[in-house]
Amino acid sequence: MSDLTKQTSGEPSTIERVEITVNGQTVQARTDKPLIQACVQAEVEVPHYCYHPGLTPEGSCRICQVEVQQGKMPARVMVACRTPVMPGMVVNTETENAHDARRECLEFLLKNHPLDCPICDKAGECTLQDYSFAEGQGEGRSVEPRRKLEKRKDLGDVILLDQERCILCTRCVRFMEEVPKSPQLCVAGRGSHSTIETWNDTPLSGNYQGNLADVCPVGALTLKSFRFKARVWNLTKTASSCGECSRGCATTVEVLRKGEVTRIRPRHDEDVNGWWICDTGRFALDAFSLADRLVGTLLPSASRGWDATSVEDGLQIASDMLTTGDKPLIIASPWLTQEEGGELLALGQKINAQVAFVSTASNDLADDVLHTGDPGPNRRGLSDLGLKAMTAEEILHTASEHSTVLCIGERVGRLLGEGEAEGFNGLPTGARVLLFDCELPEAPTEGNSPIDIAIGLPSSVERVGHWVNIDGLRRNILQARPAPAGVWNTLRLLKHLHELLTNREVQS
Amino acid sequence: MVVVKRRELTFWERIYLPEIFRGLAITFKKMFEPRVTRQYPEETLPTTEVTRGQPRLVVKDDGNIACVSCGLCEAACPAYAITIDGQETERFIEREPERFEINMLRCILCGFCEEACPKEAIFMSDELELADTTRQGLVYDMKRLERPASTLKPRIDYVRRINERW
Ligand code: SF4
Ligand code: SF4
Ligand code: SF4
Ligand code: SF4
Ligand code: FES
Repeated sequence: MSDLTKQTSGEPSTIERVEITVNGQTVQARTDKPLIQACVQAEVEVPHYCYHPGLTPEGSCRICQVEVQQGKMPARVMVACRTPVMPGMVVNTETENAHDARRECLEFLLKNHPLDCPICDKAGECTLQDYSFAEGQGEGRSVEPRRKLEKRKDLGDVILLDQERCILCTRCVRFMEEVPKSPQLCVAGRGSHSTIETWNDTPLSGNYQGNLADVCPVGALTLKSFRFKARVWNLTKTASSCGECSRGCATTVEVLRKGEVTRIRPRHDEDVNGWWICDTGRFALDAFSLADRLVGTLLPSASRGWDATSVEDGLQIASDMLTTGDKPLIIASPWLTQEEGGELLALGQKINAQVAFVSTASNDLADDVLHTGDPGPNRRGLSDLGLKAMTAEEILHTASEHSTVLCIGERVGRLLGEGEAEGFNGLPTGARVLLFDCELPEAPTEGNSPIDIAIGLPSSVERVGHWVNIDGLRRNILQARPAPAGVWNTLRLLKHLHELLTNREVQS
Repeated sequence: MVVVKRRELTFWERIYLPEIFRGLAITFKKMFEPRVTRQYPEETLPTTEVTRGQPRLVVKDDGNIACVSCGLCEAACPAYAITIDGQETERFIEREPERFEINMLRCILCGFCEEACPKEAIFMSDELELADTTRQGLVYDMKRLERPASTLKPRIDYVRRINERW
């Protein structure tokens, strides 16, 4: 487990709880968490901007004011995010004083806020909108002109800052300090001249910048790559897991109009990723918008092109190939789920094949926050199932002893060509090669196609199943969009192939 | 169950011809009276600013589209007729539509889009006629929806006047 998750989930060995009352309900509140968490526990929503459960509370926005009465003291309004829990507290979020305090605070926050909602990417998931709608007043009373600041301030490759929209909650500053531990943002200036800046306008760096757009409660920090791409209410959200490294961070995959994966955002998971994901996972959208999806079955044609046929026919041909010749080799991609891995192993036993998976080379993205540097999301799971881990070079080397090679799983074609390995061109000529993948590998420059049959598979946003991450935790993936027509679910495909092989056995 | 009794016809009705002549008499009498039907499409109904025709997009006097592709009309549309994709623009407003389509076959002319728009960018015009030979031809793109603000002026003024009452 990484440092970060220890920090967020590290429950002290003895959690002290005391009894307090929130809006008339009695709750056993933790003393190591601020009062706002006790309200969450009582399912009472308290507005908050500067408070983020994954960051140190600061108490700068004052929107979380609630009325607290303790002992003989008269009831007072205080901020829920920085008040420690004390035994016997009586908290009330709905009194007139509390409402007044929050409304007045909102009025100040909106004093200089531009009327940008129609063009703001945050609109629809902006808590400033939500609480203004719930508690604010319909019209502003100020007559002075609003503050004019920079509206398109470039903070590097990932983030764009709109200083006018910023409410100076400093969540972004604290995030950079506390999570990737590389303080790069600061509040410059004083009073109403305060703005969020980087030192000397240096662009932001690091692999965790994308989270800034999530922690910012308003539309001040937004993702450049998502800029004006979609209105958030048009996105269909599916809880899933990231497949870019063996951490398997919990994510939400957001799909626009049933097609394009437009955004991937972190989902809170105490044991794995806390509230964050890295930029590698966040921006790994290319894998889900392949220009040339492999659909149905393709067979190399005489004219060096491909002939298309149905998956059903393709599997028939594949079963022929797998049963003729000696002991076949099955190479899985570490993107296969446990369910698919199990099915593949059963299939391997049936045809007496050696089953291995591509052990991906580690990359230099490893850090002590989240990224493990190992790009295969289900390495641990497949190893536990009994598949042998082999590097691309090892596989190509072993393949020379086999006359039939089945490569199966998302990205398996790419993985075989990684590093020193030559991919499919490195496979022995004369061997039958079956490729079940989302895309075709790059065509060889000369000679015939090394692939004898290619069948399309769904990508990891089009499947259901689970991976096992580096710490042995189950990471579920869910289908965020339908697979293209003519692509079978991997499990169905494997089961069908298994059946064909069984029938063949019975016949002979 | 209700049993409706038929009225017995009288003798004169049963012999048929007198009734025919009675009907024809009415026909001939009407031939010499003034006409009350309208000869559509040669003669169209006058339209006013209250006419709720097909939605159209406003092109401001500076030649730019007023829409910022906020998607509120898209969200308000009960018929799912509108599809919008946004893009960045160098103009002060930052955002403009890249694609703005109204499927006129789906549009029920309810005017919700006009009501939802925060930018006074979409209005119900006085255009009522809709015909084409293909379905795709009735999915109007931005080019076919754009109208200069001057032609929509009466409606814009009317909507502003109405909104002031709230
Ligand atoms: S930050 Fe929120 S309130 Fe401000 S313009 Fe954006 S959506 Fe509107
Ligand atoms: S940019 Fe966003 S997160 Fe940072 S201080 Fe401003 S409002 Fe808060
Ligand atoms: S008039 Fe109604 S149905 Fe037609 S586009 Fe506007 S909101 Fe949709
Ligand atoms: S509501 Fe108005 S500004 Fe927004 S997308 Fe529709 S026409 Fe454009
Ligand atoms: S959330 Fe409590 S002061 Fe900001």
